[in-house]
Amino acid sequence: MTSVNKTIVFFLLLAVMNLHPQTSLQQQFDSAIELYNQEKYFDAITEFKRLQFFDKENLYSFQLNLFIGKSYKAGSKFDEAIKYFTLAEMNAATEEDYFNSKILSARTNILRRTTKQSERILNELNDDSRFVSRITVIKYWQGWNYIFSDEWDKAYEIFSENILDTTLANLCKSVDEELYSVELAKYSSYLIPGSGQFYTGEYISGVLSFGWNILFGYLTISAFIEDRMFDGIIVGNFLWLRFYSGSIQNAEKFAVQKNLEISNKALKYLQFQFRGEKP
Amino acid sequence: MKTKIFLILIVVCSSIYSQRIDFNLPQNIKLFADFLFCEKDYLRAIEEYGKYLEVIDNDTVKFKIALSYSLMNDQLNALQEFSSANNSSTFYEQSSIEILKSLYLLKYDSTFYVFGNDLINSKSQFSTNAQKLLNTSIFLTEKGLPDKNIFFKPFESEEKLFLEKFYDQKLNPPYKSETAAGIFSAIIPGSGKIYTEDYGDGITAFILSGLLTYLAYTNFEHNHPTRAWIFTALGAGFYAGNVYGSIASAQIFNAKVNFDFENGIRLFLEDKDYFSPTYDFCK
Repeated sequence: MTSVNKTIVFFLLLAVMNLHPQTSLQQQFDSAIELYNQEKYFDAITEFKRLQFFDKENLYSFQLNLFIGKSYKAGSKFDEAIKYFTLAEMNAATEEDYFNSKILSARTNILRRTTKQSERILNELNDDSRFVSRITVIKYWQGWNYIFSDEWDKAYEIFSENILDTTLANLCKSVDEELYSVELAKYSSYLIPGSGQFYTGEYISGVLSFGWNILFGYLTISAFIEDRMFDGIIVGNFLWLRFYSGSIQNAEKFAVQKNLEISNKALKYLQFQFRGEKP
Repeated sequence: MKTKIFLILIVVCSSIYSQRIDFNLPQNIKLFADFLFCEKDYLRAIEEYGKYLEVIDNDTVKFKIALSYSLMNDQLNALQEFSSANNSSTFYEQSSIEILKSLYLLKYDSTFYVFGNDLINSKSQFSTNAQKLLNTSIFLTEKGLPDKNIFFKPFESEEKLFLEKFYDQKLNPPYKSETAAGIFSAIIPGSGKIYTEDYGDGITAFILSGLLTYLAYTNFEHNHPTRAWIFTALGAGFYAGNVYGSIASAQIFNAKVNFDFENGIRLFLEDKDYFSPTYDFCK
């Protein structure tokens, strides 16, 4: 064997030695991905974690953490998912990887209803000059974050201003228009007890509330007219005021409750019928 | 010839190298399972330890499977796994005290006491732990307490100091009588609530009942029947409500006494990890 041949063979040997462990890691990664694609998330996490344990050189660090996070997210284990997305973010080699892990973290926070946290993440990305070209993606998830924060008006503004998704924009608009004004329900009851209940469609409650207030209002005033001040104060304080403030609180409660029903109905539609990208 | 040797070397070296990360090697499975165990991913650790046991029999691994179930609070499976440890197992004694813990958490009371007493009499290294768990558990049963000296014998001084107040409370629980609370409020409105240490409500009830009675009386006296009847109805409602409320207040007071007592004991047991030994598997 000539010395040139020997050198070639030596380098070949080195290459084979270096490639082999990497090949087995790659095979492990591929099999874990296959499990992930088959939606076998529990087994996928096991295999990703196995690879993570044996990947001493951290060759797959970013991908592993990202996929473990995605698997946990798919299994609704949001706390665990966020932990792994944060690890992915720390191991991101490129801006693209960093951006993707941040977005996934924000989306998981939206689902976890920790919307303040997702707002902070999305605002950070929004202010980051590196991601100016990805602004529509950021805005899209900001819109979703507003939906989950029950701020349908702001969600509508974002979806319509940036022409991100007309279906979502229309839905947010209709929900916002359908929502009852808690303030109107409350303050109208200050003026006419029971009117807030009428506004929210609770007519019986509104009539009863109005009736009690008329009765005790009359008794209070008649006591004062008859110069029975103490009687007037007691009836006014313990009966009239109690029903008066009760009517205001009741109207506010009805408005909040009805709004929750409207929001939940819209969220249910988004969960089961909306075909676009969801958190 | 030299070329052949060289080529064989390449094949051998590469095959050795390719085996370096054989994920299915038992020792690799065990290493990974240990990692999962220490990461507190017990469900996956159990699965991996199970795979390892298919190839190699190992007492530590069997014990760690049982411990994983216990740490996941799956006490039924933990009990089964701990019970499978035989006399020759390295972890036989540890398994016994863990069985006692599982029996306690599963509320298998009769078996718990029989097994606990057997463990105490067996003179195992965890007999004292068993005695401590057995004695503390008596607090949460209807059983009578043994003499103080006997009861506190296995405990350390710090534990004894903490448990002494529970011992006294178990003997003389500071309950309030529901009947007495009702009678007190029937005689003097609000006094039943004051008796049950609900001072704010008691004073309010006393003032309001008095006020409404006075208003009803004065309105009848001055011939204002509508208001008089309204105040009478309100006063009667307040009075009856206060008597009923005082009985309920006594019930709530007693329930709180029981809750605080049981919660205190449970927190103590949790803090002491049911007197289980500590393991250094994740050092």
